Amino acid sequence: MAKYEVTKTIDVRGEVCPVPDVETKRALKKMNSGEILEVLIDYPMSKERIPETVKKLGHEVLEIEEVGNSEWKIYIKVK
Amino acid sequence: MSFFDFLYQYEIYFGLLVGLLFGYILQRGRLCFNSAIRDVKFFKDNYLIKAIFLAVSMNSLVFVLMAQLGWIKLTPLSFAPLGNMIGGLIFGMGMVFAGGCASGVTYRVGEGMVSAWIAALTYAIFAAASKSSFLKPVVSFLRGPIYTVEGDGTYYSYGPVGPTIATLLKVNPWIPAILFAVIVWIFLARTKTTERPKGTWNWKVLGIMTVIVSALGYLTHQSYGLGITGGWVSLMNYLVSGKYIGWSGMLIVGIMLGSFISAFVRKEFKFRAPKDPKVFARVALGGMMMGFGAVLAGGCNIGHFLTGFSHLAIGSILTTLFFFVGNWLAYYLLYERD
Repeated sequence: MAKYEVTKTIDVRGEVCPVPDVETKRALKKMNSGEILEVLIDYPMSKERIPETVKKLGHEVLEIEEVGNSEWKIYIKVK
Repeated sequence: MSFFDFLYQYEIYFGLLVGLLFGYILQRGRLCFNSAIRDVKFFKDNYLIKAIFLAVSMNSLVFVLMAQLGWIKLTPLSFAPLGNMIGGLIFGMGMVFAGGCASGVTYRVGEGMVSAWIAALTYAIFAAASKSSFLKPVVSFLRGPIYTVEGDGTYYSYGPVGPTIATLLKVNPWIPAILFAVIVWIFLARTKTTERPKGTWNWKVLGIMTVIVSALGYLTHQSYGLGITGGWVSLMNYLVSGKYIGWSGMLIVGIMLGSFISAFVRKEFKFRAPKDPKVFARVALGGMMMGFGAVLAGGCNIGHFLTGFSHLAIGSILTTLFFFVGNWLAYYLLYERD
């Protein structure tokens, strides 16, 4: 069972810098307040940067879940 | 055997060792100049750029100190206004297309990022082609006039060297170095740093580690400090035509290995590749632009920004400015328009 009621998922594994950051920003812009975005990443730098960017935009980072060898899911709640 | 003979005789080992350390610092500290330049404008994130300017400002003092002690002679890069501007712009745009700067692409090779392998290859091939093959005439045509001054033989090496703020104003190199460092430190102290999660390096640690590797690089290489482009050209020439690999070629090997070890130990090594084939084409183009741009400008983000700016060399400051312009322009064109 899913942990959160995810509204939208983006898979940016393998993408070059700064695609994960940009796609996250773009997805958040199109979403409504209270919805949850799930971002799949596999680059450690993204795991450290994306939450900071998201917080700055005013959204809430619910969790950064490690799902495998250098793979994470970031759950973001839209403000 | 004198100390300098010793360095020269074993230069390939020193190149490898400095490369290993640099690769570790780049990977562990996520030190990517492409990200640094982009983040400060488009993500309002100043973590990396603060680390870089801390390193450059401290380097400016450390380099002069090492010259004062007689350990090195400063050899600032020459001032070629047209080449610096055009090359800087092309390189700055190229790093956005390639998804990383010269050092960024090199250390990502060691992390298993397959798109970085493509970028590194086209970068190396086009840098070599710009330096000694079919693109050489284009480079000499676009480079325009080149200005140098006569080195004083005490701080600077004998013979022609690139002009710096100190040689331009005809003052002792300590004076501009101290002024520059103090101004940067005041600025750094007054800006709030973007946070990074626990377990990552503090920006000051990253900056100081970068100063250590810059100093070791200059000390062991002697003819110049750290640089990436010349190293890739040497490595390429070694691989395809058996030329001597030298300090700079071994530096590149060391960076890739150091980054691999660091990533492997921290369980961050993984083969990663973009799903869209078009990205590979874009990355290949970015690498070509970086190779050509770096040779035209006379250096990349390490040779000109990290090492050259630290000399307060006029050509390096100008080139760095155009790295920013190119990066911001390409980022805007690629990502900012929806």
